[in-house]
Amino acid sequence: MSEISRRDFLKLARDGFLYLSGALALGGLLRFLDYDPNPAPTTEFDLGPASNFPLNSRTLLSNPPAVLLHTENGFSALSLICAHLGCGVEKDAQGFACPCHGSRFDANGTVTNGPAEKPLQSLRVEVTNEGNLKLFTA
Amino acid sequence: MKKTLALASGLLLLTLVFAGWLNSRESKPVKLIPTLSGQPEYCITCHADVPEISASHPVATFGCVSCHGGERLALNADLAHSTMRGGANPSDLSVVEASCGGSNCHSGSEADDRHHIQRVMTSVQSTYVGAIANIRYTFGAQTDLIAHYGINAITDDQTKTGITSLLAFDPVSETNPSIQKFGENCLTCHINATPREGETYDRQTGCAACHSTEQHTLTTAIPYTQCNACHNRGNYDLRTMTFTERTDHPTQRIDDYYQPIAQFTQCEYTLDCVDCHTRSEVMGDGDLHASQKDIQYVQCKTCHGTLTELPLTKTLTNPNDIAYRMSFLNPVVDLKPGDTIIVTENGEPLWNTRVLSDGTYEMIGKATSQYFTFKPVMGSSCTQSGEDQSSAYCHECHAVER
Repeated sequence: MSEISRRDFLKLARDGFLYLSGALALGGLLRFLDYDPNPAPTTEFDLGPASNFPLNSRTLLSNPPAVLLHTENGFSALSLICAHLGCGVEKDAQGFACPCHGSRFDANGTVTNGPAEKPLQSLRVEVTNEGNLKLFTA
Repeated sequence: MKKTLALASGLLLLTLVFAGWLNSRESKPVKLIPTLSGQPEYCITCHADVPEISASHPVATFGCVSCHGGERLALNADLAHSTMRGGANPSDLSVVEASCGGSNCHSGSEADDRHHIQRVMTSVQSTYVGAIANIRYTFGAQTDLIAHYGINAITDDQTKTGITSLLAFDPVSETNPSIQKFGENCLTCHINATPREGETYDRQTGCAACHSTEQHTLTTAIPYTQCNACHNRGNYDLRTMTFTERTDHPTQRIDDYYQPIAQFTQCEYTLDCVDCHTRSEVMGDGDLHASQKDIQYVQCKTCHGTLTELPLTKTLTNPNDIAYRMSFLNPVVDLKPGDTIIVTENGEPLWNTRVLSDGTYEMIGKATSQYFTFKPVMGSSCTQSGEDQSSAYCHECHAVER
């Protein structure tokens, strides 16, 4: 077995340290460049296969907060963000109620009690060529 | 030479590893995107332990920056806090419009009863108008008792009281030493003024002076102790224009309650101030008034009636009645359509009351959730004239011993 010379060992160590340092520095740089502290809000959501939402179903979604409706007219969705100040509304027997300031909406999102003045926002839903549902919040 | 290069590259690697280790020990930025602004903010990286301020202001909806200001993307504490509004209190009246205002929030329309900021700004709690006029009149600085000055200058373009504006009271420009002392010692009690230093004078300013009973809390369930932070800390000496701090440490409610009055009925020390005193009395009604007596009007008869008149009541039919809004914010009572509640002579609902089927009445403590049942004066053995209904008359028979 041949013994490594002192010169070769120092060269190997130097090269190894430099490669590792370069890799670490590059990793740090990529991490720094990849970090976006102020990303644009997500406005497009993939809900998965449309077949998961059968005809005449109403599905409460958590992200984004919305209710997805599948009727004979197709898919539609209603935002569950209160039109007053943006709190999440909760489903109740009459429709939806805002736990923050008491606004109430019927099942179609129409205001039945203020302070909200506008109805719950209708959201656009599209079926992709692959048969998936896409929900758009803007 | 090769040995030096190998050592240098080893040191470089060690330095990078150490820098990475240091970085890994830093707290990771925690992002929150409130639905109201849709803009990321990083305040909860350090403030995750701050409690939700109220059910009406959830952090997921409002975030921190919409109320507090500050640099939402900063992770350095000094930079993040550099542009905060009102320091730790964004409800201070100097910044309240930017923090709590907005047509959908607390500077909405009078018709919707959402002009809270306008009401507070013009309220006697902020202007101290009556005391200023009285002291200036007493010491010869003005020849009438007309309201000319408030703690700060303010205008009321849509006045219903005839007072369209107040000038800023400047004690320094006064020549009478008593008025100067009054300015020095007495103005600091009002919510529009910076409190004096010292534990006795410790209180918050702006909305928080009344609505923040604990750290980072906003509530309409305001206990009497919150009112006592201003109204029960000692006694005035009008001869020397000084304030003498109370030195006792009462352990019972009756001994702690509103010390400056000599007598109490059971209501006055059992209930909390906000159980009887209405929103317009305490927060103002949006108009400038000349003094406290022009805005404070609830009396014993408001709830108890007189020998010849029952208290005024109304049955709730309008789903947008403000009584529902009040009980929604402080759900000590579940008001339903058809419930009959007491109203004041100005039509303000005492929404924490109910007329019971047997003709008696019930009041639910806004801060205590306690139920109190009471009867009207009508049909009782009371002989008090309906014209003389100030509390002093009722105290004659109904005061409790202390």
